[in-house]
Amino acid sequence: MAESWGMIVDLDRCTGCQACVVACQSENNIPINEEEHFNQRRAIQWIRVERYWEGEFPNVRARFVPIFCQHCSDAPCEPVCPVYATYHNSEGLNVQVYNRCIGTRFCANGCPYHARFFNFWEPEWPESLTNQLNPDVTVRSRGIMEKCTFCIQRIRRTKRAATKSEGDSSAETIFANPELERALSPACVNACPTDTLVFGDLFEMLSARRAGERLPKPKNRAQEIVRRELQDAENGRGYRVLEEKGTNPSVIYLSKVDKETVEEAVSHG
Amino acid sequence: MALTRRQFMTLTGGSAAAAVLFAACGVPEDELLVEPPVLMPEDMVSGRDNWYATVCRECASGEGVVVRVMEGRAKKIEGNVDYPVNAGKHSARCEAALQALYNPDRIRGPLVRAGERGTAQFEEISWTDAVSRLSFRLQNLRGERRQRRVVLATQPLSGHLGLVVRQFADKYGATYLPFESIEQTNLKTAVKAVFGQERPPDFDIENASFILSFGADFLNTWGSPVRYSRGYGNFRQGERERGTHYHVDSRFSMTAANADKWIPVKPGTEGLLALSIAHVIVKDDMGDSAAADALTGGDHSMLDPYAPDAVADRIGISSEKIHDIAHEFAEHSPAIAIGGGSAAAHTNGESSMTAIYSLNHLVGSVGVQGGLRFNPPPPLDSIAAPPSSGALSRWKTVVSDMRAGRIDALLMSGADPFYALPGSLDIRTASYDVPLIVSFSDIIDDSAAMADLVLPKHTALEDWGSDAPDFGPGYEMVGFQQPVVRPFFENRGAELGTRGFADVLMAVAQGVGIDLELGAETFRDVLRADARKLYDLRRGSVSAPTFGAFWNGVLQRGGWWDATATADAGAASPQQLDEFEEPQFDGGDGFDYYLTPFSQTGIGEGQRAHLPWMQATPDPITTATWRTWLEINIHVAEDLDIREGDVVKVTSPRGSIEALAFPHPGVPPDTVSIPLGQGHSMHGRYARDRGANVFAILAPLEDSKSGAFAWAATKVNIEKTDAWVRVPKFENTVPDLPVDEHHRVYQTTANDS
Repeated sequence: MAESWGMIVDLDRCTGCQACVVACQSENNIPINEEEHFNQRRAIQWIRVERYWEGEFPNVRARFVPIFCQHCSDAPCEPVCPVYATYHNSEGLNVQVYNRCIGTRFCANGCPYHARFFNFWEPEWPESLTNQLNPDVTVRSRGIMEKCTFCIQRIRRTKRAATKSEGDSSAETIFANPELERALSPACVNACPTDTLVFGDLFEMLSARRAGERLPKPKNRAQEIVRRELQDAENGRGYRVLEEKGTNPSVIYLSKVDKETVEEAVSHG
Repeated sequence: MALTRRQFMTLTGGSAAAAVLFAACGVPEDELLVEPPVLMPEDMVSGRDNWYATVCRECASGEGVVVRVMEGRAKKIEGNVDYPVNAGKHSARCEAALQALYNPDRIRGPLVRAGERGTAQFEEISWTDAVSRLSFRLQNLRGERRQRRVVLATQPLSGHLGLVVRQFADKYGATYLPFESIEQTNLKTAVKAVFGQERPPDFDIENASFILSFGADFLNTWGSPVRYSRGYGNFRQGERERGTHYHVDSRFSMTAANADKWIPVKPGTEGLLALSIAHVIVKDDMGDSAAADALTGGDHSMLDPYAPDAVADRIGISSEKIHDIAHEFAEHSPAIAIGGGSAAAHTNGESSMTAIYSLNHLVGSVGVQGGLRFNPPPPLDSIAAPPSSGALSRWKTVVSDMRAGRIDALLMSGADPFYALPGSLDIRTASYDVPLIVSFSDIIDDSAAMADLVLPKHTALEDWGSDAPDFGPGYEMVGFQQPVVRPFFENRGAELGTRGFADVLMAVAQGVGIDLELGAETFRDVLRADARKLYDLRRGSVSAPTFGAFWNGVLQRGGWWDATATADAGAASPQQLDEFEEPQFDGGDGFDYYLTPFSQTGIGEGQRAHLPWMQATPDPITTATWRTWLEINIHVAEDLDIREGDVVKVTSPRGSIEALAFPHPGVPPDTVSIPLGQGHSMHGRYARDRGANVFAILAPLEDSKSGAFAWAATKVNIEKTDAWVRVPKFENTVPDLPVDEHHRVYQTTANDS
């Protein structure tokens, strides 16, 4: 196992349509966010689409930025947990062990991305709606911290399936087969109508970046994008959110292209 | 990995040697995975899942989906990778079909009214009883030759369900009247006039260089948003050079937010802008000269009244800007002009649509790659007709007939006119003179609450069906919808629970004694019989040696399509443009603001208000949920001393509602916007008595030509009340940390990790 799962978020593709948000809630048994939860700012969305204003009428712009757990290699949430409920696993995932969590919320304090959500209430569904709950995912009880897992249950399930059918569960094998790739990809990635989100094994890229070396030859589609966009500081659109905090996130954002800025650059160039 | 207790203790207890080993080798081969889901090897049992293909019916675009089913329960919906409309992607709305299926407020069996009409007091009866009651009444009316006085209202229906409903209305002699709260009538009549086509065109967004959209929130709610979004991603960052998109709208919608330029125009002048663009293109000789001749009838001077200098003030943007738009549009080929939404919802909606879509002729985008493609009808005659929509003018006639006692029965399925007709028509009091109201709804919505008899239908995931999408992929296709789970209320026995709408109509027809000429006894067999016709074509996406294998193949793949069977664009010759028609608005002095209502991402126009995921889906622009808010310009709000959450009374000449103020920087000063979809008096626990119904204050103005509902033609006044309610929104506002030059509270650099 030498994967380091990561995601690419192309902001020039993102339209803010919320398909990822609802897909995530369906896959991961997220409690119903009722009006009261929004009012108390305690609604749970493992992935959310933030909207930023620029300017005002008539020259107004709104930017959409999907934000979720960045699965940082140097995650600020990990060392503060007194009970090791959150730690980094061998696949580059920042995992949350629900039955260790005692609800200190130190991790949420530490997270600069606001990616962690605390269950202030016991999650409740009317009985008939519980039929929809995903049996692969634990329903978190009151007092537990939760956050994006990169749909680890899909990774586990697909690896088992790949071992059975292909005799191998490596990322290369899985990503060579479109069906397995789709089964492994997080729910938000499969939903995203514009292909804003791309999921993949970024091990070589992230470790080279961490060591401050040049990025190696890409092994898959996700790595290709990372190398193209993150390597070239001048022309590449790649960046990591709040990278200057030293968190080493596994999620690479590609910045929005502003047509006017491009034109300006051309005319001045 | 098998792990004994001893090994476990070795690994986790941690002898010094093991610790060294760990550090030296990185990750050990048999690392213990402690994480959700916890995998203990001894009890590593995971359930088996099956994925079934079907068609999503949560919105009109009809995405092909696959549903994950475990132990007879639907768990997750994802896009069907093979399906031409959405190619594996899906919208937030598709997912919510699960909550429609397992909705706690679903009707559990046939009901008959037990109290006063409208109080929603019902008693449960058996299906035999319910069907015979309805058949008996319809048979009597038929005996008295009053079939025309029976009105059958549904949402616009495509595919075989549309066929059964049309056959029923036809053979029985009832008046069939589709109901669509946000009508596509103007779009369809304009497409017919401009291109000679029955169905809206498909836009090859992916290969376009320039998109000029008018009013249509096509990335969010209009047309086939998932399909357009797929193209849009590649339009921005695909193989080709990045495309440019300008959006013309009186509201700052999600599509406007994504555009490179948002062009806010005065409501109702979208068509005027299109004509002015046409003027510039023709005058500067940038377009197709043959099309220019045809559009102007050979006399280019007919466009002179639309010179940018002459119309800029009326549109509300500068004449230079009109020049710029026209040049950008004409010089970046292929370019697409898309119109719809609020641009079509004025009294001049149809002529605006005609002018907008004619621009495609002018820049030669019709039938070319990166332009417009046309949707051929599916190769089955029975479902070749596109779904028809019922214009407001027809509904006005029906309501006045109801009031005059000229309607004997009103049958409704998938239509909620008691919620979504303009309030001033007052269908509620008119309906007191209708002797029989029947609803086929799966939930007690505002219309079902008025019913005497409720025959609850299956939800889409429990029912058969087919789809020949109105906004299709540009070639022949038929989507097949199959039940992916057993009916949820099956355990209540055959006499209770829900039934498929088509099957109920077929049973009623039998009870009345009319032959629907469908050639089959059940709805499934109707579909199967037509699938055989597809099989006999011997072409398309499913090829099989026998019909049995073909039928299975069609259901497995979610449908049948033939990408080579495209429509002929040759028939689309440009027609002469109409003169611009001034839009009419309801509300004169004292009504200072244009009201531009809009469909919400989640709950739409209210049809999905009973689904908690949809209620909790943040609006992309405001991130607001669960309530009805009023978008107002920040400076106007400041002048009126209105802050976020202030309860504002919105008054039109037809009535008033209350909404929570949400000032934001993207609202034109003379316009306010309110989302549609809340303010139900019924519709389940998640929708009832929540927010306000905008339809209540909309004036029943109609398009001067098509009679379609001009839902963006009402002017309102706003008045602050004393009340304040927190707007349930997802975004948070964090005040800036106090910055003190001399005392840096927190400082970090890139090397601080």
